[in-house]
Amino acid sequence: MTYPELDTLKLERRGPVGWLINNRPEQLNAMSAHMRDEFETAWRALDADPDVRVIVHTGEGRAFQTGVDVNEIASDGVGMQRYRESVEKFDFHFTAWHNDVWKPVITAVNGICAGGGFHWIADSDIVIAASDAQFFDPHTSIGQVVSIEAIGLMKRMPVEAVMRMAFVGRYERMPAQRAYELGMISEVVDPPERLRAAAQELAEKIARNSPAAMAATKRALWGALEMGLTDACKAGAAELVGMWGHPDQEEGPRAFAEKREPQWQPLAGKPKS
Amino acid sequence: MAAFETLLVERRGPVGWLVFDRPDAGNAMNALMMRELEGAWQELDADPAVRVIVNTGNGGAFQTGVDVAQMSRDLGALREQSRRTRDFELRFTGWHNAVTKPVIAAVNGVCAGGGLHFVADADVVIAAADATFLDPHVSVGQASVYETIALAKKSAMEPVLRMAFLGRAERMTAQRAHAIGIVSDVIDPPDQLRAAAQELAEQIARRPAEELAAIKRALWNELERTP
Repeated sequence: MTYPELDTLKLERRGPVGWLINNRPEQLNAMSAHMRDEFETAWRALDADPDVRVIVHTGEGRAFQTGVDVNEIASDGVGMQRYRESVEKFDFHFTAWHNDVWKPVITAVNGICAGGGFHWIADSDIVIAASDAQFFDPHTSIGQVVSIEAIGLMKRMPVEAVMRMAFVGRYERMPAQRAYELGMISEVVDPPERLRAAAQELAEKIARNSPAAMAATKRALWGALEMGLTDACKAGAAELVGMWGHPDQEEGPRAFAEKREPQWQPLAGKPKS
Repeated sequence: MAAFETLLVERRGPVGWLVFDRPDAGNAMNALMMRELEGAWQELDADPAVRVIVNTGNGGAFQTGVDVAQMSRDLGALREQSRRTRDFELRFTGWHNAVTKPVIAAVNGVCAGGGLHFVADADVVIAAADATFLDPHVSVGQASVYETIALAKKSAMEPVLRMAFLGRAERMTAQRAHAIGIVSDVIDPPDQLRAAAQELAEQIARRPAEELAAIKRALWNELERTP
């Protein structure tokens, strides 16, 4: 499958792994209005490619992502108003979660992750980071409210650490090691140059598992964030039962018994409409 | 007390012990164990002399989920289990059986797949230093649902997603499970696990039973709230 040429993002496939790379290194990968639109194209392209089993998201340069491009906001006369309607309607398309991507998504944090950069931490499945990566949320230091990204984070990690980042703003940075201790990320890669190799290795391990079973698992676990425990389990049961009769459920045990690699059914998400 | 074939159920002071006892099968649940679990939890919960329940396993494994090989030879049991799974009428764990007393899971070795039910649904979890946790469901074409949903609600979500998607490719150590709060104590050397569990259970058992039940009810009800 050929991917669209994008100005602010790079898309490529390495084996079963689709790579989405933030590519505005001079701007510390801050998100311009154009990049915001290109994210939707990028997620949809990788999700629609049946050869992509797992998606890795990282950045070029010394930052992973630093939120909205504040220079654009300050200089072009439109400012944050351009986003008013989408924020009011909660109609976003720049993360995997916004785009209903049900393939596993690994975020590989290659440097600074600041402010709006947390959207992609909160909305991905697995997060690993280079040992020199740093996390902070400067919103309140420049007179902005932090809400959506921090709410997403609070649901998946201890709340205190998120509140501290929200209130301390730009005056403190959380090191990768602390993020690991808190269960915000599951791997610290040292030396930092090994980050992409480590992400590819991790993704290839995941790519050996049933795409359909992983999508059902992901829907159940993300759905559970919206529900109480018993309701979440009942909704999860529907995902579990939805797999019954799927060819992968026969193939998995058979391959195990025959000591060979399973031949899973490919899975593709919806293309961009 | 009733005699069980696949479980050992006994009382030590105020502590009721529910021990998986299919060590040659990694303590995997066959049809009989699934039936016996329901009876064992209810017996311990109903026994006024039991204040706290400890759940552990005999042999090298804690629990490794449904015994798929055995179930595939017992179609009636498989059908019944499928129905219960579909209708969310499982009766494996203390939570499934609406046990009112504090439950301590003492993870004595590998805990895989459906074994995670007993970790997710316990109140307190301690583990031997050589215990490991993994969820191979997606490696055999199965979705991972109940166990990981409850685990994700009770601890940081990212490590649970990692476990669910990596399948059999990676095991979480007891030390990592301790660091992120899935277990609250790692027992080293591992052969001290049961003594540590008994001691912890006895400490908890000093509190009035009604108070313990009220705390348990209040905190688990919180997990039912729609966020």
